[in-house]
Parts: sequence; C-alpha cells; structure tokens
Amino acid sequence: MAKFATLTQDQTRSIKLLGLPLVYALLLLAVPLGAIVLFSFWTQDFMTVDTTFTTANYREIYDSPIYGLLLQRSLMVSGIVTAVTVLLAYPVAYFISFHVHPSKKSIWLFLITIPFWTSYLIRVFLWKVILGYNGVINSGLLQLGIIDEPLTFILYNVNAVIITLAHAFAPFAILPIFVVLEKIDRSLLEASQDLGESKFSTFLRVTLPLSMPGVVGAVLIVFIPTIGDYVTPELMGGAGGKLIANMIQTQFLQLNNAPLGAALAIVAMLCVTAISLIFVFLNRKYLRGRT
Amino acid sequence: MTDLIKLRGVDKYYGDYHALRDINLTIRAGEFFSLLGPSGCGKTTLLRVIAGFEGVSGGTVMISDKDMADVPPNQRPTNMVFQSYAIFPHLSVGENVAFGLRKSGLNKADKASAVEEALSMVGLAGYGKRAAHALSGGQRQRVALARALILKPKVLLLDEPLSALDKKMREHMQVELIRLQRAVGITFILVTHDQEEALVMSDRIAVMFAGEIGQLDDPETLYRRPNSRRVAEFIGKMNFLPGRVTATGDTITLDIAGFGVTDVPAVQAPEGATLGEAAIGIRPETLAILFDGEKASRHEAAAVVDEVVYYGDMTYYDVRVNNVPEPLTIAMKNMIGRPVLDVGAQTRIAWDERAIVVF
Amino acid sequence: MKLRVYAIAYLIFLYAPIILLPIFAFNDATIIAFPLSGFTTEWFAELTQNRALHAAVQNSLIIAVCTAVFATILGLCAARAGAMSDFPGKKGITGFIMLPLVLPEIIVAVALLVILRQVLGLSLGNWTIIMAHVLICTPFSIAILNGAFGALDPSMEEAALDLGESRWSAFRLVTLPLVMPGIISSMLISFTISLDEFIIAFFLTGSNPTMPVYIWGLLRFPKSLPVIMALGTILVALSVILLTIAEIFRRRGVRRAGGTDTGGFL
Ligand SMILES: Nc1ncnc2c1ncn2[C@@H]1O[C@H](COP(=O)(O)OP(=O)(O)OP(=O)(O)O)[C@@H](O)[C@H]1O
Ligand SMILES: [Mg+2]
Repeated sequence: MAKFATLTQDQTRSIKLLGLPLVYALLLLAVPLGAIVLFSFWTQDFMTVDTTFTTANYREIYDSPIYGLLLQRSLMVSGIVTAVTVLLAYPVAYFISFHVHPSKKSIWLFLITIPFWTSYLIRVFLWKVILGYNGVINSGLLQLGIIDEPLTFILYNVNAVIITLAHAFAPFAILPIFVVLEKIDRSLLEASQDLGESKFSTFLRVTLPLSMPGVVGAVLIVFIPTIGDYVTPELMGGAGGKLIANMIQTQFLQLNNAPLGAALAIVAMLCVTAISLIFVFLNRKYLRGRT
Repeated sequence: MTDLIKLRGVDKYYGDYHALRDINLTIRAGEFFSLLGPSGCGKTTLLRVIAGFEGVSGGTVMISDKDMADVPPNQRPTNMVFQSYAIFPHLSVGENVAFGLRKSGLNKADKASAVEEALSMVGLAGYGKRAAHALSGGQRQRVALARALILKPKVLLLDEPLSALDKKMREHMQVELIRLQRAVGITFILVTHDQEEALVMSDRIAVMFAGEIGQLDDPETLYRRPNSRRVAEFIGKMNFLPGRVTATGDTITLDIAGFGVTDVPAVQAPEGATLGEAAIGIRPETLAILFDGEKASRHEAAAVVDEVVYYGDMTYYDVRVNNVPEPLTIAMKNMIGRPVLDVGAQTRIAWDERAIVVF
Repeated sequence: MKLRVYAIAYLIFLYAPIILLPIFAFNDATIIAFPLSGFTTEWFAELTQNRALHAAVQNSLIIAVCTAVFATILGLCAARAGAMSDFPGKKGITGFIMLPLVLPEIIVAVALLVILRQVLGLSLGNWTIIMAHVLICTPFSIAILNGAFGALDPSMEEAALDLGESRWSAFRLVTLPLVMPGIISSMLISFTISLDEFIIAFFLTGSNPTMPVYIWGLLRFPKSLPVIMALGTILVALSVILLTIAEIFRRRGVRRAGGTDTGGFL
C-alpha cells in the first residue's frame, strides 16, 4: 500500500481513466467467464438448471468419444490452418518490409487488410461458390476439358474448412510479422554480411531469429480464434467437417443444454491455452528481453 | 530588486528516487536566472515544480509571497517555453499566439493588435496567417516566446529553449533573448546544460548536481571563485595541484607543490579554512608560457612541454612542472611572432597567486 | 523479384472470392455457377422490395452506430490513460481490456448468453448485441487511438494548461482536435466490425435479426443466392469506402500529431 500513497496526480488520473473500460471489461468479460465456469459444474434438468455441484459434464465429455473426436479435429484444423497461414504470410510480410518502398508500405498493408473487414459470412459462402459441385473451379476445369466429372474432394470436408479459414485469417498472420520485421535494425543485416555471411545465411542466422516474436504472435492470433469459428465448418464442412464450435453452438441453441455447452467451451479454451503456452515456452529464447 | 520566487526546503520524490533535495532558492524580480547542471540533475523537474506541473513532496514554493501549493499551473503567474516548443500544429501562428487570450475579455480587434505586437517583438511581424507546422526551428521558438509573453507573466520559464537549434542560430537567439528580456523586464528562468550559454546570458546562475544546488552566484563569481571542485570542473577547465595551508587569518599562507610558498587573501579560500592539506585550483588561461625574453610579473616556474593541442586562435599546452604530479594545462592566445612550442621543449611558465582558488 | 510475384499472387488469392461477388450479382441466372448467362439488375431490384431485409439492415445500423460511439469512448479513456504515467498493474489491466482481441468469439458469445439469459433472466435484444460488440470493438479502438495519442507531444496539453486553460478545456481545445482523425477512424472501424459481426450476434440476437443473421437464414435457400450476391456487392463496396475513409483519417491523425506512418490498423 505504501506505493499507492506516493502516486502522482498524473498516475491517479490515469487510473481513473482506465477505470471505465476496466469496469466494462470486468462486467462483460470477467463476470460472464466466471459464470460459465460455474455453469459447467451444474447440470441441465429439462427446463431448469440443477445447481448442485457436479463434474458430470466433464465426465460426459471425457467418456463420450464424440466430444474427444471433435476437439481433436478442431485442434488439428486450427493447427494446420495456423501453419499454412503463417508459412504463406511470412514471405509477404518480408516482401513488404524489405522490398517495398517505405511510401508504399501502408497501401500494401491496406490492400491486405481490406478483405479481412468485408462481410465475413458472404466471404465464407463465396468459397462454397468457388469449390462447389457446380462451382467456379469445377465448371472452369470442365470447360477446359481437364476433368470429366466435377471434383468432390474439395467441398463438404475438412479440406474445404482449412482452405476457407486460411483465407479468412491471412491478414491476421501478416501484420504481427510485419511489425517485428520493421523493427529490425537494418545495420544488423549489413553487419552480418560484413562478417562473411551470404544473404540467405544472414536471413537464417539474423532476420529469422529476430522476427520470431512476430511469428509467435501471428501463430497465437490465428490459432486461438480459429477454434471458436462455427460458420466455416457449418457451411463448408459437411457431416465429416464439423468442429467443436459447432457442438458448443448446438448445445446452447438447439439442445438447450447450457451447462454441457459451457463445459465444452471451457475444455476447448483450456486445450487452446495449454497448447499456446507450450508453444510460447518452446520459443522462449526468442522472446527474451522483449514485450 | 524585490524577491519574486522563494523556494524553501523543496523536496521532490519520483517513487523512491529523490529528484530534488532540500532546494532553497530566491529569485528576484526582473533578473535573468539560469539553472545549470549536468543531464539528469533535476533542472527540468525544478522548473516544472515552479510552473506547477509537478507537485512537491516537501517544502514550499512562493511566488510574490503567495504559497503556490494549491495553485494549478493555469492560475500561476508563470508561462513556459517548452523544449519541444509545443506549437499547436492545428492552429495558425496567430491562433497559437492568441491561445492564452481566450478568457482575457479582449475584443477581436484588441486581440489582433496584441498578437501583432507580440509577433513583432520576436521579429515575426506579419507571420500571423502562416500555418504553424510549416515553420523552421528558430521560428517555432519565436512563436513559443510570443505566445508566452503576450500574457505578460511575472516569470517566463524556458526549458533548454536553444538546444534544438544549430550553433549559429543558437548564438543569434542568445543575444535576442537577452535583448528581449531587457525590453520586457520579465523574470526569465532558463534551464540549460551549456555552461557557456549560462555565463553569457544570466544575471545569476544556480549550478545543480544530483538534485542539489551546488552554488548560486553571478557568472563572474561563479567562474572566478567556484566554491567546490565539482563546480570548478563543471564550469570551464581548472588545474588542480596538491598543497598545504600553513597559516590562516586575513591572508592565508600556502605551500603549493612545485610552486612554493605564497600568500593569498582569505576570500580565495573557503570560509573557515583550516591548516593542512588542500587542493589548489588554477584556471588554464591564468597561467602563461614565457617565451624568450619575457618576464613573469609575479612568479615563474620551470616546465617541460608534454602535449600541444592547436586550436587556431588558441594553443593548449600540457606542461610538466617539477614536483607537480599531474601535467598542467595552459591556454595561450596565438599572437603574431609567438611560436608554437614542440613537445619536449624546455620552457618557463608564469603564474599569479591572485588567480588561485583553494578548496 | 520472385517475392514480388509471390506477393501479388497472394493478393489475388485474398481477393479471389470478393471479385466473384459483382460478377454473379449482375448475372442473369438463379444458380451460382459458370458459364455466365447474361446481364441483369434484377437482383438489386429485388433487394429494394425485401421488407424483412430492410428491418434487419436498420437493426444492424442502429447497433453499429451505438457500438462505434461507445467503443470509441472506452477506447479514448484507455488510450489516454496509456499515454500517461505508468502505475503498478497498468500493463495487466490494459492486457485484460485487450483480451477480446484474441479470445475466440464463441467464448464471448456463450459467456454473455449464460449471464444474460440464465443468470439475470433478461430477454435478448439489440442492446445485448451492442454490449457484446462494444466489448470486442474496444481493443481495436484502443489500438488505433494509441497510435494517435502516442504520436502526440505530451507538452502540447501542458502548454495549453500553462496558457491558462483548465484541464478539460486544454483537452478539448488541443488534444481532441489533434486526435480527432484517430477518433473518426476508430468509429468507422468499430462500425464496420459491428455491421459485419455474425458469430456473437447469432447467439445474442432477439426476435429482430441483424443483417448478418438474416443473411445466414437466406443462405439455406438456393433461390435467394443471387440476391445475396447483390447484397454482398453493396456491402463490400460500402466497407471498402468506409475503410478507405478510416485509413485516410488515421494517417492524417498520425501526420497531424507529427509522427511518421509505418503501419496499418492493429
Ligand atoms: N516523471 C518522472 N518519473 C520518474 N522519474 C523522473 C520523472 N521525471 C524525471 N525523472 C528523473 O528525475 C531526474 C531528474 O530529471 P530532470 O528531467 O529534471 O533532469 P534534467 O536536469 O532536466 O536533465 P536533462 O538535462 O537531461 O533534461 C532524472 O534522473 C529523471 O530520470
Ligand atoms: Mg531537462
């Protein structure tokens, strides 16, 4: 408490200002999150909620294979989507940071972010138009005579979900990498070449390690939210492409089993958080001394 | 002159960091006062305490005998010229200068003529319509001055106002600032870490070290009679020789290594100087190399040239004198017919006991 | 050079679906497939007839405007506090407020649904969506306004104080005009996000659907697909315009406050 006694006026004002958004986030984020944790230990009894403490929901998730399967599939899809987006995004971020004239950088970033802001639902749906049975790809390939029958492995399965999600999250992956690349002192690269490294080995030994914080950021900012998407698997996944988010949505909105849905949401969150923490831990040597 | 600002026992903490330590300071109405000190010693903090941007942790700040403890910066009779000038980029030059007149109750025409007057005072007559962000560094500084002076504050606070300017412009603005201060008669408090700037411009200078005032005097006293080694070292250059005080009284008898025994008036030593070891300070320009045929007016000593640094108008010699542990630096004006000595040359130097400072 | 080709190919990949929108919106056929059959504006005409759609659009606009205003107010508080002195715990609090940026939207949706419906027993409506959208838009607003406040010389406001203004009028006369481009940019971005948001709105929508929820319903009926294409075309055009304006203001803000521009949003 002694610390607070010596707060400057400026600090007091800054605390007061931050109070409003903080209270808002507490009421609309912390309290509701607490509520679903509580709910996950209760059970649904037809129309009412039985508030006796029980781990029944968690046991059910553990026992029925369907939840495990969905969770596994979700994590796998998110993992692949993350790997694909980050790998595809890195060269673009590198290109913009190192090869685009400074005055043109913001226009490139702007072009990349625009699709991200435009009507998500319709964008996902458009992939259906592209990949569908009568879709752009199939009708195009048929007309060109490359195939005789429409391809079916590109819609209503996990592949389609991955393609669509990778497309949707692309800008998310580019920005954090770009920001870190921009901060790299260019004289470090010259120093490395001066010390006898080739351009490519300079990239491997200097640029890449220095940009790892951005890569880690990109991985997290893609991996975590993709778990929560139920639109893409619903529209693109078919029966075999449903994910855990669809199950959570079903429990809440169709089966009216909020406690089980809450438990599923918490399990999904815990898995994502655990994987993210492990990932950050594995990359800790790159993150040291940075924020 | 009447006292305008009085600081009594002012302390300032940033968390655990003691930025100002028991500052006692009186600044007189109408004087050009400078706060001088190395980076991080607390000059800006002291200025911001006077302006009211920082509260004090202890002690009082009085302006015109009024305690400023509960007076916010917008109600203090002080105005500030910020180091970055803080010219509002969304306003024109004229709007910037008129900014503080919003609640003055002046009508439009009076405001306009006040702005024009303030602008011409700083040499920017006719610039009122210009966009503020299109000004050069020197012009921004003038706008900042006009904007503060138009309010006729009792005190103008200037935080390193010249540090962003190039050398030529800086010297020019030093003269302008002195002229301006004489013209308006307002008390100026200038923060600077440039000792030359402080010496040139100020009526009095407070030298600060690590949150404390080391010495407060007029420029000449400060230069000729620094009261401590750190002040002496911070302002100009000084040679230090080991010595001993062998007698005290109205005159003090010194036994200086290499120079021998001499008497100096008591004012050249700290008050209550005692017998025993003392450091003897001599400024480089008060020593002189004696060239062939020249004679010292007071004392001389044999020396060997150890190092020569040629500056064009001046030559700095480092010379060794028997029994003096460190070489002494001597600043010599390069005059016609006077050669530049080589390293290793045998020579004689002249010294004057009136230029000695005892620490 | 190779990198440039790759980057351009990547941009094409990003834009591929969107480019299809106008193509099919003006295509004179009920099935969405190649080859194209002819030009028509019939689908746009149909949009103007659809009462339910108009109601949904109206709902969404109300929600988006409220979200833009409230999220920007919260963002202003946080960004201004961010530009002031640090105090113990400030980083943690800011991190917590920014959390919705990385939280899966479905988690936010179910958490709010539980607390509003099950715990408090309230009925859902536009205001529940507004609350949730403010929560997820505030971090974006903070990110944009941090840029505006970060580029601002802190002595600007002190100079106004020094010249006799009160704290509030110093903010109003100096800081506010200087960060105004950032505020406009933040409102436009929040507006765009809210207008487009589906995952949370689907959970929290009451009896009157928002526009994305209404579109979601339409997606089941193959007959309505060309109309969706027409609607999508309009929406994309609208977002591009709004975002372009937002970007222009954001850059102007950074420049006005004297900084140099390096990045986009986020
Ligand atoms: N708001 C603050 N919070 C914490 N410490 C501060 C703050 N402002 C200043 N300090 C510290 O107080 C000391 C004095 O700072 P001040 O700015 O007064 O120095 P200065 O003499 O003006 O130096 P310079 O010549 O570099 O401007 C410095 O060590 C500084 O780090
Ligand atoms: Mg300073």
